Amino acid sequence: MSEYFSNIKIGASTIATGMAITLKHFFNAVKRKGDAGIDDADYFKQVDGLCTLQYPREVVPTPTIGRYRLFNNIEDCIGCNQCDRACPVECITIETIKVTSDDLAACGKTSGGQQKRFWLPVFDIDVAKCMTCGICVSVCPTDCLVHSPVADFSEFDVRNMVYHYGNLSKIEADAKRKKLEEEKAAKEKAAAEAAARGEAPPRPAPKPKPAPGPAPEGAEAGE
Amino acid sequence: MSHAPSLNTWSDALAGFNLGWFPLGLVIVAAIPLVFIALYALTYGVYGERKISAFMQDRLGPMEVGPWGLLQTLADILKLLQKEDIVPTAADKFLFVIGPLVMFVGSFLAFVVLPFGPAFIGADLNVGLFYAIGIVALEVVGILASGWGSNNKWALYGAVRSVAQIVSYEIPASIALLCGAMMAGTLSMQQFCVAQSGPFGLLHWYLFSNPVAWLPFLIYFISSLAETNRAPFDIPEAESELVAGFFTEYTGMKFAMFFLAEYGSMFMVSGIISIVFLGGWASPLPNIGSFALNTMTSGPVWGTFWIIMKSFFFIFVQMWLRWTLPRLRVDQLMYLCWKVLTPFAFVAFVLTAVWEIYK
Amino acid sequence: MQELGKAELNSTRIIRQDDNRVVIEKDLDTEYMVLSMGPQHPSTHGVLRLECITDGEVVVEAEPYLGYLHRCFEKYCEKVDYPGIVPYTDRMDYLAGMNTEMAYCIAVEKLLDIEIPRRVEFIRVIVAELNRIASHLVAIGTYGIDLGAFTPFLFCFRDREHILNLLEWISGARMLYNYIWIGGLSYDVPADFKKRVAEFVTYFKPKTVELQKLLTENEIFVKRTRGIGLMPADVAINYGWSGPMLRGSGVDWDLRRNDPYSVYPELDFKVALPDPKFCEIGDCLARHVVRAIEMEESLKIIEQCLDRMPEVDGFNSRASIPKKIRPKAGEVYARAENPRGEVGFYIVSDGKSTKPLRCKARSSCFVNLSAMKDLSKGQLIPDLVAIIGSIDIVLGEVDR
Repeated sequence: MSEYFSNIKIGASTIATGMAITLKHFFNAVKRKGDAGIDDADYFKQVDGLCTLQYPREVVPTPTIGRYRLFNNIEDCIGCNQCDRACPVECITIETIKVTSDDLAACGKTSGGQQKRFWLPVFDIDVAKCMTCGICVSVCPTDCLVHSPVADFSEFDVRNMVYHYGNLSKIEADAKRKKLEEEKAAKEKAAAEAAARGEAPPRPAPKPKPAPGPAPEGAEAGE
Repeated sequence: MSHAPSLNTWSDALAGFNLGWFPLGLVIVAAIPLVFIALYALTYGVYGERKISAFMQDRLGPMEVGPWGLLQTLADILKLLQKEDIVPTAADKFLFVIGPLVMFVGSFLAFVVLPFGPAFIGADLNVGLFYAIGIVALEVVGILASGWGSNNKWALYGAVRSVAQIVSYEIPASIALLCGAMMAGTLSMQQFCVAQSGPFGLLHWYLFSNPVAWLPFLIYFISSLAETNRAPFDIPEAESELVAGFFTEYTGMKFAMFFLAEYGSMFMVSGIISIVFLGGWASPLPNIGSFALNTMTSGPVWGTFWIIMKSFFFIFVQMWLRWTLPRLRVDQLMYLCWKVLTPFAFVAFVLTAVWEIYK
Repeated sequence: MQELGKAELNSTRIIRQDDNRVVIEKDLDTEYMVLSMGPQHPSTHGVLRLECITDGEVVVEAEPYLGYLHRCFEKYCEKVDYPGIVPYTDRMDYLAGMNTEMAYCIAVEKLLDIEIPRRVEFIRVIVAELNRIASHLVAIGTYGIDLGAFTPFLFCFRDREHILNLLEWISGARMLYNYIWIGGLSYDVPADFKKRVAEFVTYFKPKTVELQKLLTENEIFVKRTRGIGLMPADVAINYGWSGPMLRGSGVDWDLRRNDPYSVYPELDFKVALPDPKFCEIGDCLARHVVRAIEMEESLKIIEQCLDRMPEVDGFNSRASIPKKIRPKAGEVYARAENPRGEVGFYIVSDGKSTKPLRCKARSSCFVNLSAMKDLSKGQLIPDLVAIIGSIDIVLGEVDR
């Protein structure tokens, strides 16, 4: 019998405690939490009261480190393909055209002073696929590929989620490709002539700088 | 007993107004509570509950439609009106359609005996309280019809739970109200208020004038939560267990009917509790010497204000409880009703009787 | 009267009466109903499906069906190189990404046999414990919803938001961090991080008290969970339970202490065990209480780590990351204490490839969920909901 009454008593008192808590919050609703970011020194001084932020107008600032939309600064991109290879979800598509020797100046240098050796007709990032893991950013040798803190980039059409960063139009790309073929053909012709002359072919490293070595391919075969 | 000669003047006058053979006045008398339910459910019911729950949970609540989200409920109703009215193929169409109607009518019929102030009441029945208890129970028929007619397992569970619930809560609720009837010596809702109005304001209310009245008051309040299917007794619709309980299959305006009925019966039980224990339309302010505050704040208009305010207060408490407490299990509700509330209701009954004899 | 036979679960009896008439008797109330709970159900915590055979509201048997969120984690691991798997481990248990990452990285580091800087270890423990708090907040909050209390859930999410902000600040992402890398961290912590975490700890301590008053001690909550879903310790061990579930059954087992990794041996913390005065050992309430205590213990661990974390000038958290991750042939199993229990990675390397030959993930809530059939026998549907909630499943980890 005493348990019966103590049950009722505990029930009533805990319910009253709970109601006191919610009522305290109810009267606390005149105050609102600010929208300071976590890097603000006062962040934990402004947490009392209503904590809703009305999104499009009030935003929690994204920290500068925020890993959201991928952005490629094509000016600095050397077309090394490392990001494409590192990406676990294969959201980066890169097509490269080797720069002919006379075009090197036109192709330019990166801001770090490195000579760019590839035209990039296609550098597509499918941000709908991208899982913002940041691995591509970590392997980028020129730091041109970055995750920007832009968190809201929704689209009505999923095709718009593919971001094109290529620095050549289709016509230009065709022209460059043609040029490369011509140079190649010329070189081969020269080599063939040289061979015909009986000279030992100047066994050069055929590709001047194929930046990412095809090393992992052997490993893949092992699987 | 100051108002005794001039009760129900407005509603009587209105009811006597005929347009030829057509009893236009009666229709208006009936329409006033309907319009009132709709307006109050729109504003205080839906919008108020959303805001109150939001503030208790450190949120802002609706803010987008209109200033401070005031038009949100209108937007929701527009949305509900545009929804397709789906009747499942395998449902029992008749029961499915009639369920929400019965439920709404059940909660609306009880407004007949609810006095909106000393001058307005739908029908001043001499068995008003009895009628109200009886007619509110009609809602369960609606719940059972819709739950069974939906041909949905969750809805069926909700309906059956609801029936189990009504047999549990009706008994303590009725006994608690009987205590009130004993104190007033009447079952007429108007006479309840009359008996509790007087120059000393709230000191005349049974809750304050009778030392045992708090017990039936609490018992009735707890049972009224079960009556309106509100948390912690929202067992028939328990959204985390039964998806949406008995109205799982409903869409559009039929769904809105359930909402309206819920808010209607919330006001109804709050009205009953404030009439029986808190003086209904009687003003809480006392006459202090020459400051005749009570006399100043009495009368038909003030009476309407007081009864609505008192009911709104209890609705607020209902919402407050809902947003604080977890839900009881169905057998725990029965434990509470049969083993706690019913014995205490009997105790309260005896104590009230003793008090009434020897006071 | 002689009974000749029974059929259909005792509902039909064939009886020869004294006057030699044979009658077939049927009970009224013994038709079972199959109730499919989920995958679209408010309290199955994602896409779990339970096929319940119910007798009225009593669940005779409930069979969990999985696979609605299966993403071929283990097969995918064979296609991605070692660092590329880390973001996938985040997506296993998406409420506790840091902890899973840590378990995976420990496994690969064991395979590679490399040394980790102490500062990195301390940061890892801090973020893992922060994430444990965040995960338990979700568990406790959603458990409140399962039982009908909505407000504690939003209070929990309000506080979790601060943790997510902290973790976003250091890692750049809010839930799927890819912060702990094999051999190091993707970034060092910002300068103010220690101060802000200390502020969070002081902010959060009173909130746990409030949560306890609002939810844990509430009599209705206690009545709904106490004595429900009892799991004795020996059965729990046989099922392979781990984490708060196992501790809820009264087994004093915590991988942070029993199989220590990282810097946990240096830290002073208590293994959370339920109080037999408040709850029955092994019931839903015990599991809930263990989670609540663990949040407080995590706060203690974080405080200690903040004190002991070495400050290194010009610290490069990536310096210790191997340039090429190609472990020599071998296999390894490493495990860590996740908020939901033991999460382990079994990795086989063939020694030639930069991709694991096999990566098996031992998921904690998959194992914990396996007891569902046993736990749900003879329970009411509201209790079934309470039991599912107390298991605290994350379907991302169950299905992987």
